[in-house]
Amino acid sequence: MKKLVIIPAYNEKQSIIFTVEDIKKNAPDFDYVIVNDCSTDNTMDICRYNGYNVLNLPINLGIGGAVQTGYLYAYNHGYDIAVQFDGDGQHKAEYLETMAECLVGKQLDMVIGSRFIANKGFQSTWLRRIGIRYFTLLIKLLSGKTITDPTSGMRMCNRKTIEMFANEYPRDYPEPESTMRLIRHKRKIEEVPVEMRERQGGVSVMSPLRSIYYMVKVTLAIIIERVR
Amino acid sequence: MLTTKFQIILIVGIILLLLFILNMIRKRKLELKYSLVWLIVLVFLLVIACMPEKLQEIATALGIYSPVNMIFFLGFVFSLVIIFVLTVTVSRLSARIRRLAQIVAMMNRYMGEEESDGESEPVKADDRYNIEAD
Repeated sequence: MKKLVIIPAYNEKQSIIFTVEDIKKNAPDFDYVIVNDCSTDNTMDICRYNGYNVLNLPINLGIGGAVQTGYLYAYNHGYDIAVQFDGDGQHKAEYLETMAECLVGKQLDMVIGSRFIANKGFQSTWLRRIGIRYFTLLIKLLSGKTITDPTSGMRMCNRKTIEMFANEYPRDYPEPESTMRLIRHKRKIEEVPVEMRERQGGVSVMSPLRSIYYMVKVTLAIIIERVR
Repeated sequence: MLTTKFQIILIVGIILLLLFILNMIRKRKLELKYSLVWLIVLVFLLVIACMPEKLQEIATALGIYSPVNMIFFLGFVFSLVIIFVLTVTVSRLSARIRRLAQIVAMMNRYMGEEESDGESEPVKADDRYNIEAD
């Protein structure tokens, strides 16, 4: 069974080596591909120098476009499982095997790594947690399904979902929206408790203004997804 | 309500604009698909400029008090329609560009595989963008 880790990277020079070595060491069954989303720092050089498998986007596509590139790669190369894995070192590769077992064992379409089941590790700031709770509530209201960590960027998909994401994936802030989409298509989703770290370098793209845009955009996207 | 002088200026202006657009299409600077709506509007304006008395009739038929109001209203609606069509076009274009960029990234990857069989030393990390680093 071919398994791929998709690592979207935008200006991750401080953490990309850490991330890839973590995967090589703690999830040796997985292949990986870095998607360099037109970084303005030397992320690409670092990847080349270390001989990493990297796709270099010629223009900046945003997180959605970058991750979709990874799914496209997974689809074209016949991978059975693909998992998104942040390039900033937040995610722990040791959980990938557990997630894969869950995905295959229960024949699921997607497994989300959730911080809020075991409530261990880095729990994000309280303001963000409120935002995440809100999306949990919104998805629950609209679909009846509880997703404790709808914004988690650690998500593992089977072949069917890889194909779906390769064809159509939201442009920015894609996680809650695409989760809703899967639920609407009656795909089976489950969450697995994981621990996350604080980011190991780089800066978050979130600012107060962006947060407002994020909340409004994702709320609308989820509602539209519901009536689509 | 329209002096003959102004009417002539209008008609000449519209015809010049029409020729300008047609010439751009001829030179393939404008795609017929997107300029069609402009051509239609210009022809409509030309008809109005030739027979301004029709304006009053149309306004009355639509139940609008004065022809001037109707002109402003129609102009506004028309502008909105064009802007909306452009938004749709931009959305489609950005989706296409996105897919193209993804395919370019992958093709570069395959080409790199064939080329990187040895010789050239890889660029050392931190050597090239020292100024930007930190």
